[in-house]
Amino acid sequence: MHAKSVPSRLGPRSIPVRAGIGLRAEHYDAVLETRPPVGWLEVHSENYFGAGGKPLAVLEQVRAHYPLSLHGVGLSLGSTDPLDASHLAKLKQLIRRFEPALVSEHLSWGSVGGRFLNDLLPLPYTEEALQHLIMRVSQVQDVLDRQILIENISSYLEYADSSLTEWDFLAQLAQRAGCGVLLDVNNIYVSACNHGFDPHVYLRAIPHHMVQEIHLAGFTVNRFEDGEILIDTHNQPVHPAVWALYCQAIQHLGPIPTLIEWDSDLPELAVLVGEAQQADAILEDGHARAA
Amino acid sequence: MLALREWQQGFTAAVLDGAEDAFARHIRARHFSSERRLQVYRNNSRISLTSALEAIYPVVRRLVGEGFFRYAAAEYIHRHPSRAGDLHLFGDAFAAFLASFEPVAELTYLPDVARLEWNYHQVFHAARHAPLDRQALMAIPPERQGELRFRLHPAARLLVSPFPILRIWQNNPQDGVDEELIDLAEGGVNLLIFRDEELDIRFQPLGDGDFALLHACAEGCAFAAACEQAMTAQADFDLPTRFSHWVAQGVVTAFDLPDPSFPIADRGEPT
Repeated sequence: MHAKSVPSRLGPRSIPVRAGIGLRAEHYDAVLETRPPVGWLEVHSENYFGAGGKPLAVLEQVRAHYPLSLHGVGLSLGSTDPLDASHLAKLKQLIRRFEPALVSEHLSWGSVGGRFLNDLLPLPYTEEALQHLIMRVSQVQDVLDRQILIENISSYLEYADSSLTEWDFLAQLAQRAGCGVLLDVNNIYVSACNHGFDPHVYLRAIPHHMVQEIHLAGFTVNRFEDGEILIDTHNQPVHPAVWALYCQAIQHLGPIPTLIEWDSDLPELAVLVGEAQQADAILEDGHARAA
Repeated sequence: MLALREWQQGFTAAVLDGAEDAFARHIRARHFSSERRLQVYRNNSRISLTSALEAIYPVVRRLVGEGFFRYAAAEYIHRHPSRAGDLHLFGDAFAAFLASFEPVAELTYLPDVARLEWNYHQVFHAARHAPLDRQALMAIPPERQGELRFRLHPAARLLVSPFPILRIWQNNPQDGVDEELIDLAEGGVNLLIFRDEELDIRFQPLGDGDFALLHACAEGCAFAAACEQAMTAQADFDLPTRFSHWVAQGVVTAFDLPDPSFPIADRGEPT
C-alpha cells in the first residue's frame, strides 16, 4: 500500500541564482501536472510538520524536480520563552528528509509566557535584544547543525526603546551569530513607508556577502482619513515601487536567488510564474552587468 | 528578569488584554496613535488564528455563517489562547467550546460536526504505517491468538454521534449549492474516518459489530474480548470475514502480544 511512500530521489541540492515561487496547497496539482519553469520552490516549514499524509507526499514528489527552501513562520525566534524543542525537532526531521538548500526564519518574536499571537512581531532594537537574538540563532543553528537565514519583517510600529536601526541590528546579528540574511525587499518598502525612512539606506547597510535570498510579495494599503498604513499581506502582485527597489537591490548586491511569495487569495499558478519571470529578467540584467 | 521579557509581556497584554496605556510609552508616536498601531497587530493575530480555524472547520463555518463563525472564533481565541507556533495544533478544543457556547446551544449537532472536522484534520496529517504483517501473525500459536492486541492505523479514527453528522457534513460541501433539509430524527451514526492508500480521507458508517470490534481494538482490548464485544453488539456479525476486511483495508495494521517472549510485530513507518 505504500509504493508511493518510498522516498524518491531528491532533486538538486543548491538553489540556482534564479527566481523561485512559494508553493501552497492550492497549487499542488498544477505544479505536479505542469512543472512550471521556475528555478526553485519554497514552502512554509510548519505546513509539513504533520507525521504523514498528502502535504509530505506532494513535497516528496516536487522535491524530485526542484531545489527546495524551508521557510519557518512559527519558531518565535526572538521570544524570551525557551525555544520550543518539539518545534525544532520537527524542523530538523524535515531538513533531514528533504535536504533543503536554504532554511530561514524571521527577525521577530510571536509568543511570551506560552501565549502565542501567531504573528511576526517586531523586536525593540536594543543591545539586550541583539545579545538575545545572537544566542537564539546560535542555539537554532547548533540544534539544526547548519546555517539559517534571518528575514527582516514588515512592521507597523517603532519602539521608543530602540537604540539601533533595524538594518544595523540585522547586519550585526548576521555578523555575530554567523547566520545569513534573507532580505525581504517588500518588507523594507512597507516598513520604510510606515516609518518614514529611506529604503536605500537599509539596502546599502546590508553587506552583500550576507544576503543569500531575496523575498518579493504584495502588500495592502489600509487607508485612514489622516493617512495610510501598508500591511504585508502577500495577496497581491509585487508593487511597481517594490520592483524598482528590487532592481536597485540587485545592482547593489549582485544577482541573488529571489522568491515570489503569495500566501492568500491565490491566483492561478501562471500569475506567480509570470512574476517569477519578471524577477528572472532583472536577475539576467544583473548577471550581464556582473559578467 | 530581562527587560526584553517584561517588554514582551507588556506588548502581549496591550494587544490581547487591552492594557494599552501601560505600554504606550514604548511606542514611538509618529503620525498615528499607538492604539491604532497596536490595533494592526490585534487584527493580524486574530486573522491568523481565525483563518486556522476556518481551514479546519469549513463545515461548521458554513452551518453558522461566516459572520457568526468569526464571532465564535474570537471568543474561542480569547478562552483558549494559542499555545504553539504551528497553527495546525490550534483548535483542538473547538468542539468542546461550541458545546458550552450559549449562542449555539440550539444547534445540538454542531459540536459533533466540529469533532468530525477535527478528526478529519488529524487523520489528514497522521503518520504513515505499513500494512499488517500477516506472516508474523500466522506465526502466533492458535492458543494465544485471543491475547493479541490489534491496533488501528494512525490515520484511522472512530466517532459516535446521536446525530446524522456524516449526512450533515456531506450536505455541506464547500462549494455546494444543493442544500437538502436533514431531519435530525433520522438518527445517529457510528463512523470510521480513515485515510486510504491514495491519501484521500474516507468516511465509513459502521454497523454495530464492526464498530464494537474496531473500538475494542482501538481501546487496547485483547482479541478475545474484542470478538466478544462485537458478537454482543451484533448477534449475526460475520467476524472472520469482517476482521479480514479491516486488515485488507489497512485499518487494522499492527498487533502485539503482552509477553516479552513475543516482540511487538509492528513494522511502523515503511522505510
